[in-house]
Amino acid sequence: MIRPVPMLKHISISTRISILLGLIILVIMGVFSAVSLMKQQRDSVDALSRSTLLLSQTTEKILRLSMLKNRCDDISAAIKDIVGNEGIRSVRILNHEGIIKFSSRRSELEQHISRTNRLCTNCHAGGDSISIQPISSFYNYHLNQQTGIIYSSLPIYNAPGCYNGDCHATTSDEAAAHSGRSGAVQAIHPVHDSSETILGFIEIEVSAKKIMADISRSRMQLIFLSTMIALAASAIAYFSISFLVGKPVKRLVDGTRRVAKGDFSQQIPSGRAELGVLADSFNHMQRQLLSTQSQLIESEKLASVGKIADEIANDINNPLTGVIIFSESLIGQPEIGESDKADCQTILQEALKIRESVRNILSLARKEKPNFLPVDIGSLLDQAISIVRKLSNFRNIRIVTAMPKVFQKVSADPGLLEQVFLNLLLITSDNMQAGGVLNLSTTNREKDGKIEIRFTDKRGSISQSILQALSEQVTAADSGDIGRTSISLSVCKDIVALHKGKIYAASETGTGTSIVIELPA
Amino acid sequence: MPETVRVLAIDREEIILKSIVKALTAKGSTTFAVKTTTSALEGLKIVRNDVFDVVFVDVAMAGLNSAELLRRIKHTSPSVSVILTSGHLSGTSFPEEVSMNADGFLSKPFTTGEIRSLLSSILRKRKG
Repeated sequence: MIRPVPMLKHISISTRISILLGLIILVIMGVFSAVSLMKQQRDSVDALSRSTLLLSQTTEKILRLSMLKNRCDDISAAIKDIVGNEGIRSVRILNHEGIIKFSSRRSELEQHISRTNRLCTNCHAGGDSISIQPISSFYNYHLNQQTGIIYSSLPIYNAPGCYNGDCHATTSDEAAAHSGRSGAVQAIHPVHDSSETILGFIEIEVSAKKIMADISRSRMQLIFLSTMIALAASAIAYFSISFLVGKPVKRLVDGTRRVAKGDFSQQIPSGRAELGVLADSFNHMQRQLLSTQSQLIESEKLASVGKIADEIANDINNPLTGVIIFSESLIGQPEIGESDKADCQTILQEALKIRESVRNILSLARKEKPNFLPVDIGSLLDQAISIVRKLSNFRNIRIVTAMPKVFQKVSADPGLLEQVFLNLLLITSDNMQAGGVLNLSTTNREKDGKIEIRFTDKRGSISQSILQALSEQVTAADSGDIGRTSISLSVCKDIVALHKGKIYAASETGTGTSIVIELPA
Repeated sequence: MPETVRVLAIDREEIILKSIVKALTAKGSTTFAVKTTTSALEGLKIVRNDVFDVVFVDVAMAGLNSAELLRRIKHTSPSVSVILTSGHLSGTSFPEEVSMNADGFLSKPFTTGEIRSLLSSILRKRKG
């Protein structure tokens, strides 16, 4: 596994990309500059060489007549003039034997050049052997890279004027001196034989130093320029990436650190493109986290409250059982006077209200899975009715029930369902202070197989606020109303919903107002 | 002569035991013979030494958990009907294994009508 170098770990993404981009540009510019400079140098040397050839050819033409006439002083003067020009280092004329006959450097005169000199080896590759090379290739130039000097050599070809004319001739004495013999008869002899091809060479040395210095300067300029471009590109890349990527990423990183510490207070500024979408997503996630955290805190609180409430409820419920049972017992005693009985009924009624209130508060505080059992709805209703019949509230209320003899059992939590029936009976009794008939009917509906339980007050005394509270999807906690009736209704709705049922209000002309519960069979 | 139903009530709260006795000894069609104890282990001993039709067991008994107590009662006297009582919320506090073996549930605080109605229902089942 490759592990990042620790030092590189702390280098920002902007810096890394900038350095990488700078290096890439530097390498590309370097390669491009090297190739173009090499070509420029080659082209410049070629151009200079062609110029030198032209100069050689011109020099040969200018000096030809002087050479035919053997005007040595004219030739020397001309060579001196040529060398005076810029860049031309020396001009020399050699004969075929390799003897330097004329030269701008006087010290070279009459000296032999080596047989290994390229002037000789062009044709005489094997020493004295005769070359078979084409004459056109005799001209050549050579650049000495170390000295920066171009050596250009042009052959002087034999021509009829050279071996026929008497202008360029020697006497017998001169010929003898020339050939190293003496005592010859004075006569006119041509210097060159018609069989000779090349009579000698004109060699010119031209300095390419200036061109090479220019190229070197260009190289330095290009290196400098490339470096500057690379640095500029790196800087632009650094600031662009810092602005477009680095800062938004830093904001995201800071945001995640804040969230990790539990601080949800700040949102990341929204932006454009992908990082903007990422920032929006992060903000959305932060809001979700905040909401979930609030819910969790609320759930924790509710769970704690639920546990405490459950323990308190247990402590209340034990003595409350005694209060209920003993007050019921007293109510049933024949020797107890009516006034005392009424007092006992009040005690019982209030005890039962406490019981329902405790149950309702526990239902709100605890959201546990109900314990479903096959339940006889009729028995549960009878049980609830038997409880409320003893209450003074129900003294003037007649409960009329209409239930089938055989009732299909429903899967329900008996305790919770009984709580719903008691809550509804107590709520309706509160609304029927003037008395009346409360119809309680249960039906096994054939059309959808559901169980319908209907609490109907024909006088329509059930208040509109209760009917409205049942028809709306509002809980006591949502509405802020924490009155006993609201809590009771909210608990009823929650319990019925737990049983996958429905509770709603129905108001019809002639039949009064009803609270209807539908439960799946 | 009306039949006497033998009942044992096990609950750590005296007031509950007194309330059960009060509710069942009130005038009615059925006669109940009620024994009570506040100890789970004592309750088990009574079940071993006597015959009962119905046993009331508080879910939150000290000494033995309700599931174990229920299992031992049923093991000692398989024909006995057990009614669980609880001062906590409804039947939702009962562990599943307890709920499965119980014959009835009674949430505290209960009324005379509720306890008698539940007993009638259980007795009908026993006869039927």
